[in-house]
Amino acid sequence: MPIPASNIPAPDTAEAAPEPYAAELVGITKRFGAVLANDGVDLAIAPGEVHAVVGENGAGKTTLVSILYGLHRPDAGHVLRRGVRVRFRSPADAIAHGLGMVHQRFRLFPGLTVAENVVIGAEPVRRTGAIDRAAARRAVAELGERYGLQVDPAARVGDLPVGVRQRVEILKALYRGAEILILDEPTAVLTPGEAERLFSVLRTVTATGASVVLVTHRLAEVLAASDRVTVLRQGRVTGRFRTAETTADELVRAMIGRTVAAAPARHARPADAGPYALEVRDLTVRDPDGVVRLAGVSLGVRPGEIVGVAGVAGSGQRELVDQITGLAAAGHRSGTIRLLGTELTEADTVRRRRALGLAYVPEDRHGRAVAPAMSLAENLVMGDQRARALRGRFGLSAAAVRARARALAERFGVRAASVDAPVATLSGGNMQKAVLARELSRDARVVVVEEPTQGVDVGAQERIHALLAEAAGAGRAILLVSSELGELRALADRVYVLYAGRITAELAREQATEDRIGAAMTGTDPATGRAAEPAAPITGDGEGTP
Amino acid sequence: MTAGIRGARRADAPERPPALRAAWERIVAAPGAAPVLAIAGTLVLTTVVLLAAGVSPAEAYPAIVRGAVGEGNLEYTVANLVPTLGMALAFAIPFRAGEFNLGGDGQLALGGIAAAWLALAVPLPGGLAVAAPLAAAALAGALLAGVAAPLRTRLGIPAIVSTLLLSTPAVAFASYLVRFPLGEQGTGIAQTPPLPEAAHLPALGGSGHVTLAVPLVLALTAAWAYADARTVLGYEVRATGANREFARYGGVAVDRLATATLALGGACAGLVGGLIVLGPPYRFVDGALTAPGHTFTGIAAVLLAAGRPAAVPVTVALLTVLHVGGEGMEREIGVPSSLTQVVEGLVIVLVAAFATLRGLRDRGNGTATAGEVGA
Amino acid sequence: MSVLEATFAAAVLTATAPVALAALGGQVCAAAGVFNIALEGQLLWGAFTAVLASHLTGSAWWGVACAVAATTAYAALLSVPAVTFRADPIVVAVGVNLLALGLTAFLMRPVFGVRGTYSSPDLAGLPTLAELGLGGGPLAGILGPQSPLVPVTAGLVAAAAWWLRRTRSGLRLRGIGEHPAAAEALGLKVAAYRHGAVLGAGALCGLAGAQLALGNVTLFSEGMSAGRGWVAVVAVMLGGTRVAGVVAACLLFGVAEALGFRLQGEGLPQQAADAAPYLITLLALVLVRVRDRLRPVGGGAS
Repeated sequence: MPIPASNIPAPDTAEAAPEPYAAELVGITKRFGAVLANDGVDLAIAPGEVHAVVGENGAGKTTLVSILYGLHRPDAGHVLRRGVRVRFRSPADAIAHGLGMVHQRFRLFPGLTVAENVVIGAEPVRRTGAIDRAAARRAVAELGERYGLQVDPAARVGDLPVGVRQRVEILKALYRGAEILILDEPTAVLTPGEAERLFSVLRTVTATGASVVLVTHRLAEVLAASDRVTVLRQGRVTGRFRTAETTADELVRAMIGRTVAAAPARHARPADAGPYALEVRDLTVRDPDGVVRLAGVSLGVRPGEIVGVAGVAGSGQRELVDQITGLAAAGHRSGTIRLLGTELTEADTVRRRRALGLAYVPEDRHGRAVAPAMSLAENLVMGDQRARALRGRFGLSAAAVRARARALAERFGVRAASVDAPVATLSGGNMQKAVLARELSRDARVVVVEEPTQGVDVGAQERIHALLAEAAGAGRAILLVSSELGELRALADRVYVLYAGRITAELAREQATEDRIGAAMTGTDPATGRAAEPAAPITGDGEGTP
Repeated sequence: MTAGIRGARRADAPERPPALRAAWERIVAAPGAAPVLAIAGTLVLTTVVLLAAGVSPAEAYPAIVRGAVGEGNLEYTVANLVPTLGMALAFAIPFRAGEFNLGGDGQLALGGIAAAWLALAVPLPGGLAVAAPLAAAALAGALLAGVAAPLRTRLGIPAIVSTLLLSTPAVAFASYLVRFPLGEQGTGIAQTPPLPEAAHLPALGGSGHVTLAVPLVLALTAAWAYADARTVLGYEVRATGANREFARYGGVAVDRLATATLALGGACAGLVGGLIVLGPPYRFVDGALTAPGHTFTGIAAVLLAAGRPAAVPVTVALLTVLHVGGEGMEREIGVPSSLTQVVEGLVIVLVAAFATLRGLRDRGNGTATAGEVGA
Repeated sequence: MSVLEATFAAAVLTATAPVALAALGGQVCAAAGVFNIALEGQLLWGAFTAVLASHLTGSAWWGVACAVAATTAYAALLSVPAVTFRADPIVVAVGVNLLALGLTAFLMRPVFGVRGTYSSPDLAGLPTLAELGLGGGPLAGILGPQSPLVPVTAGLVAAAAWWLRRTRSGLRLRGIGEHPAAAEALGLKVAAYRHGAVLGAGALCGLAGAQLALGNVTLFSEGMSAGRGWVAVVAVMLGGTRVAGVVAACLLFGVAEALGFRLQGEGLPQQAADAAPYLITLLALVLVRVRDRLRPVGGGAS
């Protein structure tokens, strides 16, 4: 999709620090296969600042900071640390140069204590060769005191709640002398109270002269906690701002831009009224730690509609889909789900839901949607293995299975060497088309589709969109969960927006401009253009308790 | 990248496998390649081991072949196919669904004693005198193996451990029964009295070694192969073994399948026990069922065949020939027959190292190593 | 302490020692994230090489040394496929166990000239503590008849516990087992640690085999490991991350076995004695898991 024509403001020259930047990324380009994750990106981190890196899913932010942390090598461009060119071959190199990173998925050892987690790899030792546990405990206590990250050094990390575990991750980085602390979506797992505390910690960190790189999509937090912001879109920098001088609206525009989405063949506009094929009412879901993942979510999909669920990954889509498809672990939920009029309880198995008319295209292809070692033909049968049409004279006919597979592959444009080839040999796009072929060809009235074009090349993307539109035209109710705004705008009749477990907007087709969706996705009030107040979560134990 | 707290899947060591392996994997991925390669590897390895033991293959191989199919030996080989093939089924059926049944010995012994007990205690007429003890044997084996399933689904104890732990007590129990309540008094040998004539398995052919057991086990194997390839259940079992999550996503009742396959495997093992007892010498002799090591030979054959029903009879035949032929070789040229076990062990190690035994690594096996803690 | 109790306690120690050594090896591997069920085969191989070396050199101590060396080398059959080639450790271990059975049986004839069991009055076994002048004092009844490897076992257990919990390499090993990706990100060499763990387990199994074949009795017989390696595997599962837990599980087995022998003397059928350790271990495993499931939140699914 074309890049917006808006001006990219030049880096603020008046702000050029007298001393060299703590770190600089210059001209970074990085490709993963066909995907261009970063395209000539420049990023400069000044000492003592909180620098936010902002963008949608797939904008390239995580890739960029991963390069800074030595997890990847750039295809082009270089990295400077305090004005000196460096080359990180691994995170160990980066750590040695004073970088630290707290990933979205923590890299902690659950069975070890806090102190052990913090010092592992750089343990203080005594003469006997044993670890000086007292020194480790002291270090944890001191760092905790200094930065407001108090944790019990002897606690087992696996027993700690997520917010506290994050503290351990930060302590780990600080213990190794991190002068640039990178945090990747840190508030995704925190309550607002915990997030507040995190920001005050970050301020303490920068007060010592260290820098913080904050990768996030939550604009409210960007505005509250950062000094400067760099906005990425589709691998390129689309904006550089001083936080104090910008607004949420401006940031959203830089993040989302104005794009011209090629609309596929639109299906006939379905009726606005009538019974829902899929209805979710007041769904509230907690995870095993008690953190609320979905709060009072209600939505509905009518036959023939494509209803989008927008939101940056981690806003509750996983929990929503798992509850609808029956793959969620039992317990921890309240609210109702109705499929074609029948209420679905937790006792309803996956098989029953499918029999009732549900189909599901998962986001996680390899884990769930296919058995990589089995052939394409056998993968395409799953869900339909009992069909009469597949019976031959001796039972399930391999020939019939293969013939069906060939027909499906033809119809849905799946390109494979042969239907007997293991599905693992297919490209991402073809694998996805295969999954769609399977789920859309069944007699299912309701189809839940997650991220259908993730990791798929452009040609296949268009085909997939056409397939979905066609399915809706045939009367199916489609729930489309996607973090790609262009996709939602092109396909959806209505769009619900999820942010931090709540529906923050329900937009009809005409209202679903990218500004509005983008704003709702990032917690900004679409009406005022300002960061919305984070709503108080429903936690059983009050907020912010460690 | 979702905000749910979920265990990381498969926390393998994150290094990339050597490029050589990647190329090898492509070769092996060709359908049917793995068992062929494994069999070829077995033969190569046997030759190597023979040479290492200072034995000339030119002497040894003919001796093996003579020992297996030579004058008067063929019947014995065929008869030996039965327990090995049966025990191969006992392992292979659950293996296809991703479960490891290592309790074959116990299921075997329990099945044998159940058959012996029923045949001695309840004289039945005609065909029932054979069918009923066999049914009892299968049931005993099925129950023993079936216990492992709820232990796995409810308590997370892997089947490989529970079947194994139950094996020795089951063998011990059978041993106890044969010595005390059921034993033949006065001979000092731990064995039951001879079973009534009606309960003898009808013999086919002259020497009596080859009985009805042979076509029965062959029929079972064929039935399994058919079910695996051509029934819905077979498909679901294979899908569960290939990717349990995928099967669950597709609506397959994976837990119930685990139970069913384990019970079926146990039933096969129990049945083999019954067949051995109802064949010559027509009694349960303590230790005779487990001594020949059919259980692990069966397991080796299944692993060699990568679990594929079409290949299992072939690998079973190969290993049986090696075993029986090995005994003949020992008689002829004095090389210990345990050679074949050596070959089996080496082959399994190499097959595991070089072949992609699919779906095995994706399954949890008790000591979970996942350590994902955050979002 | 009465003679009976002392004899009983001594029997427990003797029964526990080899299992504890093997289990220790298994636990180190588990701590590193390698599920090692090849303990049975390695135990057998250790017993065989111990007797072989003792037979050839006339010294039981050489027997011990060679057993340790030979079994460490043998363990490479597991470590290379499982760690370097990332093969399934369960399958490889099945092969390793089978191979040990076959190889030891195969080699008996050329090496010892017999089949089944090799025992000879000339075969040097390990001296007892009493013979060495140690193991006196109030516990003489219990310690006297033990081989020197028994206190060595106790020492190794304590050393392993200390090493795992308190040293840098022990901590890193545990980290690797918990979360290899995180360990890799910190720059730890996952493969090297895992190789070390598997080979170390091999050494311990060699020691265990030496204790089995030269410690109490002095003979080798086919399949003499008799399932002890499997009990060790279960002990590791029972004991979890604590060495003390694993050793407790081994002691449980030792008590069950000694109890079985004792009760045999009093009329309990031998079969019950055979079965008891496994049943008790299974029961204990079940109880531990039930307790884990009932525990509120915290650890994830196993």
